[in-house]
Amino acid sequence: MSDPLQTIHVVDDDEAMRDSMTWLLEGEGYAVACYDSADSFLAARNERMHGCIVLDVRMPQTSGLELHEKLDALGSQLPVIFVTGHGDVPMAVSALQRGACDFIEKPFNNEDLLSRIRRALALDSQLSARRQRDSVIEHRLRLLTQREREVMELVVAGKLNKQVADELDISMKTVEAHRARVMEKMGVRTVAELVKAVMSVN
Amino acid sequence: MAERPRQAKNRPMFVRPPPRQPKQTWLWLAPYAAIGIFALAMLIVTALLQWREQDTALSALEGDMHWAERTIEARLHAHQDFLTGLGREQEFRQLIYEAFQVKASRYVRDNPEIGAIIWVGTEGKVEWVAPNESTATFVGEQLTGIRMAALQEALRTRRPLFSPDYPGADQRPANDLILPVQRGSSDLGAFIAIQSLEGLLRVTLPASFTTRYSLSVVDAENREVFSNTSVRPTDRRISGSISLDLPSNRLGLNIVAYRGGGSWLPFVPAALIVFLTLLATATLLQLRRHARGRAETEEQLRAAYAFRQAMSQSLVTGLRAIDLEGRITFVNAAFCRMTGFAESELVGVAPPYPYWPPEEFEQLQYNIDTALAGNAPASGFEMRIMRKNGERFDVRLYFSPLIDAGGRQIGWMASMNDITEPRRARVELERAHERFVTVIDGLDTAVHVADVQSGEILFANRAFQNIFGFDSAGRDSALVTAACRPPPEALSRDPASLAPADLPCEIFDGEIQHALSGHWYHLHERAIRWVDGRTVRVQLAADITDRKHIDEVNLQQQKRLEQTSRLITMGEMASSLAHELNQPLSAIANYCAGCIKRMNAGNYHFDDLLSAMQKASDQAERAGKIIRRMRDMVKKSDPNREPIALAELLDEARAFADIEARRTSTQIVVNLPENLPKIIVDRIMIEQVLLNLVRNGIEAMHDTPVERRRLDISAHRIDARWLQVEIGDQGHGLPEEDIERIFAPFYTTKPEGMGIGLAICRSIIEFHQGRLWVEPRREGGTRFRFTVPIEEDEDE
Repeated sequence: MSDPLQTIHVVDDDEAMRDSMTWLLEGEGYAVACYDSADSFLAARNERMHGCIVLDVRMPQTSGLELHEKLDALGSQLPVIFVTGHGDVPMAVSALQRGACDFIEKPFNNEDLLSRIRRALALDSQLSARRQRDSVIEHRLRLLTQREREVMELVVAGKLNKQVADELDISMKTVEAHRARVMEKMGVRTVAELVKAVMSVN
Repeated sequence: MAERPRQAKNRPMFVRPPPRQPKQTWLWLAPYAAIGIFALAMLIVTALLQWREQDTALSALEGDMHWAERTIEARLHAHQDFLTGLGREQEFRQLIYEAFQVKASRYVRDNPEIGAIIWVGTEGKVEWVAPNESTATFVGEQLTGIRMAALQEALRTRRPLFSPDYPGADQRPANDLILPVQRGSSDLGAFIAIQSLEGLLRVTLPASFTTRYSLSVVDAENREVFSNTSVRPTDRRISGSISLDLPSNRLGLNIVAYRGGGSWLPFVPAALIVFLTLLATATLLQLRRHARGRAETEEQLRAAYAFRQAMSQSLVTGLRAIDLEGRITFVNAAFCRMTGFAESELVGVAPPYPYWPPEEFEQLQYNIDTALAGNAPASGFEMRIMRKNGERFDVRLYFSPLIDAGGRQIGWMASMNDITEPRRARVELERAHERFVTVIDGLDTAVHVADVQSGEILFANRAFQNIFGFDSAGRDSALVTAACRPPPEALSRDPASLAPADLPCEIFDGEIQHALSGHWYHLHERAIRWVDGRTVRVQLAADITDRKHIDEVNLQQQKRLEQTSRLITMGEMASSLAHELNQPLSAIANYCAGCIKRMNAGNYHFDDLLSAMQKASDQAERAGKIIRRMRDMVKKSDPNREPIALAELLDEARAFADIEARRTSTQIVVNLPENLPKIIVDRIMIEQVLLNLVRNGIEAMHDTPVERRRLDISAHRIDARWLQVEIGDQGHGLPEEDIERIFAPFYTTKPEGMGIGLAICRSIIEFHQGRLWVEPRREGGTRFRFTVPIEEDEDE
């Protein structure tokens, strides 16, 4: 049920919280890694991490929100579940708006937490799959010549071959040849697929 | 018609009264002196005449007297001669009785004063009596008394003798003329003629004499013997006396002239003269009084003339009189000065006048025609005339009819004012006034000036009129500004009692709310001296509603901020409490949930579960500690209690609540009994409770009609230790089930409420060992009551 590559990173200053969380999540069969502060998490972090972060908002020194910002800045794609105390709702909302995955208010129902964790892990899987696909498309795009890229952009913009020829001041035949090569290089069969692929990376 | 104007022209219009004469008093005395002298002279003349008349009368009397004397003496001598003749015949015995009888009887008949002639012997015995029928005596009668004595004296002296008078037979005075007869040396006897003195006088003196004089005969002893009249003349000035030389006797005759025409007659002329003198004096006095009156009138006339003359000459207003045809009859000095023409150049001139500028002829002719027709406007004519040197200037000419003493109109009087300067000044003044009004009306501040005594508004600018109405000028300031007026006790001075020396004086400076519009004004009032000298109040009212509103908003914001910060503090406290508690609670939940999962799954180690349960138990203990620590913390902030008057707290709470009350038009009625004991409370806390409850009440009446929005605050002492405060509103009331719930934390019926107000209130009251509860009011709304401890010292 759980992806062996995914780990739940619990960042909380309270030792009891970390311990009880580990007890709970391990009971569910997840891999759990605990960090007693934002800095210790940042120190341990790497690009290959999968799973999600359960982040306590209120911590001494670097708060949960600050950590979230730093992770954002580092380009981390890990979903974050904020754990807030009473009265931190507006803070959580602003965090959500900045791309946090979810939040849960203490004291929480463990089923609530678990369902959020499941959702976060699913999101993480999705994201990593997309990341993989995008990297393939990006790799293919890099294979296109300058002229082929120009032709592709116009085609994606919905222009007819004749219009493309006029615009680039080349012959219809040349356009058709470029187009065929683009389709081949990008590994798509239809213009719709091409558009989808290009849009996904942009 | 043609007669009148000429008459008017010929009449001197202004008669100069005669010059004043020096007062000559002596001139007035002269007539009196003349009258006096005349009267005196007349009296002297009269007296002289009187005296001469008397003199004449006296000399006539003397003449008459001498005549009478001679006549009487002649008569007596005749009688003596007759008796001597008889005696001689007797001596020589030639006389016989018969002859005697004849002779003597004839004589007696001829001389009626003789009663009888008798012959008596030497012994005094009557022997012969002639005439026989005489009743004076009879033959044989013996002479006695003074008659006998006279006889013996005559016989002794042998000379005729006139006896003293004696009462005769008819009891009238009579006396005897005795002629003794001797022969040789022997006495024969004597012839005696018995004569009546009355008869003697009657016979000798004619009737004319006796009517003029009063006669009386006196004897030698000056005793009156006989008087021919019983009427005694009173005036004895014209009188005389003669003495008759009779043989051996002497008789006096007193003669007094009767005054002809009464005794007062001589005084008539004198009285007449005195009367006439008095009359003349009185007339003169009257005349003098009249003359004096006349002189006074003349003096007044002269003064009036001089006054008028001085007035007309000193006037800066030109005066010009014209007759009914328009001919100038008079001009005063000012008129001459204005026009530059001499009086002689103007008087007598008919239109067109020399001071008419040629270009204005038509207009001026029209004006004078209008004036002569009696249609001159009361406001006069405004016209342009010319000086002698050709300079033009503007004048205003007023006409009024000229009436003489007889009430007849004899012309028109015109007064002329040079209005060149006034006109310029007026224009200047109007401009200045316009500027003033523009500035004053341009002000936002309402300015008005009102008389201190009457309250009459003397001036009000546009801003004032905008607020209090455009008809406010002239009305009573107290009525006009009744809605926005400082109360009399708020004035620093009573403006009506200010002395002129106190002005100008500040009366009021403060903020007032207009009772009707609700606008706020900053009133600044001063008492100053107005242009006409009276004391007035100048009031400047600046609309500060906006500023006030901003102030109020600021105040409310400030209060909200305070409250928010308080709430934030509380919120933070609650939040940190929650966070603190959340940690162990969440941990417990996690442990428990983990255990349940494992137990359900069946793949667990007992030791693991035990350890987890142990940890959960530790966390529960930790939670308990947190709670204990919180309680300890709360306990430390024990209220700072002090004795304080409830009224004072209410005042402070109301300072905040009133803003809200005013905004919602809620009436707050405080009813505290006198001598309420002080309460022992934390000032800030109880103030907060009061403020909270008052606000609750106000908010509860949000849907109550404005006129019923009334909040009652009252308090009373319930026993020796407690004071109960009640705050009742007329609001929507509370459903039965909410009565207790409203004190629960986070319970609210208000959309924006936090739901902690009443909870805190109850906590605060309970801190003070008091109680806070709520009950519905019978008349609608709710009533909050709480008890607070009172000062121990008040314990009895």
